[in-house]
Amino acid sequence: MTEVQQRYTPTRAADTATPSADRPRPARRRSRRRLGLGGLVTLLPLLLVFGYFGWWPIGQSVVLSVQQTNLVDPPAWVGVDNFRYLFTDPLLWTTLRNTAWFVVLALLFGFPVPVVLALFGSELQRLGGVFRVLVYLPVLVPPVVALLLWKWFYDPDFGLFNQVLGVAGLDPRPWLQSTATAMPSLVLATTWAHAGSTVLIYLAALAGVPSELYEAAEIDGASIWRRLWHVTMPHLRGVLLIMLLLQIIGTFQIFTEPFILTDGGPEDSTVTVLLLIYRYAFLNGDYGTAAALSVLLAVVLATLSAVYLRLTRKWSTT
Amino acid sequence: MRARWVRIVACGVAGVLVPALSACSSAEPADSSVTITVADLPPTTQAKSRQQFLDQVAAFERDNPKIKIKPTDSQWEAKTFAARLAGGQLETVFIVPLTEPPGLIKRRQVADITDETRSLPHADKFEERALKPGTGTDGRIYGLPTSEWALGLIYNRQLFTKAGLDPDKPPKTWDEVRVAAKAIFAKTGIPGYAQPTTNNTGGWTLTAMTYTHGGRAEKEVDGKQVAAFNDGPARRTLEWLKATRWEDNSIGRQHLRNGADVLKDFSAGRIGMTIATPSTYGDHITKYNGDPAMFGVTALPSGGTSATLLGGKMAVVSPKASTAERAAAVKWIDFRYLRPKYDAAAAEERAKANAADDIPVGVPAVPFYQPDVVDPVLKVEHRHANVPLNNFKSYTTGVASQDFVAEPPIAGQDIYAALDVAVQAVLTRKDADPAAELRNAEEKVVPILERAQR
Repeated sequence: MTEVQQRYTPTRAADTATPSADRPRPARRRSRRRLGLGGLVTLLPLLLVFGYFGWWPIGQSVVLSVQQTNLVDPPAWVGVDNFRYLFTDPLLWTTLRNTAWFVVLALLFGFPVPVVLALFGSELQRLGGVFRVLVYLPVLVPPVVALLLWKWFYDPDFGLFNQVLGVAGLDPRPWLQSTATAMPSLVLATTWAHAGSTVLIYLAALAGVPSELYEAAEIDGASIWRRLWHVTMPHLRGVLLIMLLLQIIGTFQIFTEPFILTDGGPEDSTVTVLLLIYRYAFLNGDYGTAAALSVLLAVVLATLSAVYLRLTRKWSTT
Repeated sequence: MRARWVRIVACGVAGVLVPALSACSSAEPADSSVTITVADLPPTTQAKSRQQFLDQVAAFERDNPKIKIKPTDSQWEAKTFAARLAGGQLETVFIVPLTEPPGLIKRRQVADITDETRSLPHADKFEERALKPGTGTDGRIYGLPTSEWALGLIYNRQLFTKAGLDPDKPPKTWDEVRVAAKAIFAKTGIPGYAQPTTNNTGGWTLTAMTYTHGGRAEKEVDGKQVAAFNDGPARRTLEWLKATRWEDNSIGRQHLRNGADVLKDFSAGRIGMTIATPSTYGDHITKYNGDPAMFGVTALPSGGTSATLLGGKMAVVSPKASTAERAAAVKWIDFRYLRPKYDAAAAEERAKANAADDIPVGVPAVPFYQPDVVDPVLKVEHRHANVPLNNFKSYTTGVASQDFVAEPPIAGQDIYAALDVAVQAVLTRKDADPAAELRNAEEKVVPILERAQR
């Protein structure tokens, strides 16, 4: 590693810092002490809104997961019956497999695409603005509208993709109509829709890489790949990991895409956890089992979120 | 000091919540008048139907000065039903598709209206098959029909002509459907037949087709309903679908769509035939601007048994309605939906108004009452018919001899969901084995049926 690299390679303050007796109190503790009447009054509307629309329904879901109810008569307490039933439903395992497959595909394809686009965009001098607008444009299209458009793209008889393949003299593909290609097709549509926001975050991170580093690396005779690996990637490492975690959390909650494009088909190959919750609650009226699965999903997501919070807190000090 | 803050915050919270809560609680009016909410007011985009509905509300209130009606334009939506029921926002009278009552009755999410129904005019002359979808396994009445049609086969008459087929002689058996589908695809390149496959519509239509092969989705064993579809009739139906897809290649490659998607494509002229009720003529004309001359309908083809499944809608009453509200609700259902089916004068008035507003009149429906009540009504309705009656002729004659088989009484939606997968399998995978797909569906359904009947 060159001297310049050593000087600019991000170090983690949290790793090197040692506890000291005369260190100032953490800012959080100080602000809690200073929270007076004004603070409480200011917070009150927020607490009420969060409490009523967020925390109370969450608490209700947990209660509902151990009940059976028709939302008319008083609910019956059933203990862990809903969870037990959930684990006997073969569709649960199919759903978990599907969701895991979606996560893998999203990481394989959906994760690198924004990185590559951001790296490409950061190299553009004059057309950088146009590039950012074009990349971000899909995010501005309402998701359902965009998905209906993709539904037409994927139509095996009249769709755009197969028509293009036909013009090129290639056989039509089944896209959403095959258990093998349905999930990758969903990932493609999802990546297109969501990549824009991630690219902007990466572009911001790339803008923070000091240009002297690249110049020094060039003087040292580093190739473009070595510059990418030894200069760019270390600076992106933190944001990459955070985006990775956010993406995993997001993909666990995938719903709109399979709901609009496949309704879980063909042969349940695209039923995701959220779609199964939807089916339990709204097609079968089994609110207890739907709540039980929601609670399980919440536990998984809470764990991932805790990891995310821990990492972001750690990096915020670097 | 701390206690003071707690009191201040508590008062603040109470100050916000108490008025809100007291606003939620409904007080019974001092006099004996009652107010009910009724769903299904047509949207503003259907201005004429909407005005007709509002006129009927006004007429009802004139006839029943102690009942106030508040119409809303909400329609049945599975996604919002639970939240609206739990939140007390559900209308006193709401309209549901015929696939819903068994589940709603089982979960006791609709009111028992047997006593109120018994006091209605011609209550002893109801057609049993028309009432059956709203009747629970306990024999009590939970819903009244608003519109009912037997499932049939709708077909594009123009594509029939182009394919050299006679549009006045539509297929009567599934073998004939297969031949016609092949001809349509060969001559026009348009899929000759389409099968809905998602959102439980695949299982629903497969069940209807299974009935035409003499099969059933459920049967009663030792007082309990068990899955009955894993046998010859359903297997033959799946084999038929598989053959049209992979041997004949005559039904296109798009096999992930629900009934509504299929109808849209039908109206756009991109499908030769599909299973639907004749009432889809209404959407074909008003929603999708379809050509009336193109629309043909015949009875559900036979696979050896002359049978069909009912489709349509039913009016049900909120389980939270008070006795007075329930009585008012059934009165409204009678006024709005039943009277034009038994009272010739009311039928004529409604038919005239519909015809004047270009709303289809004359689409053959399942009669709610026995012939002595319904015949005079049909006579006046036909006088004002504005649909091409000839295009419905083979449906009317075919349905007359069909057995109307009911929906599976327990966990019907679960059965349809499991069968969706079987239908999708044979249409999207060449090596799918119909027998194995039915076995898989049965495995999924058995624990659900057991749990539902505990």
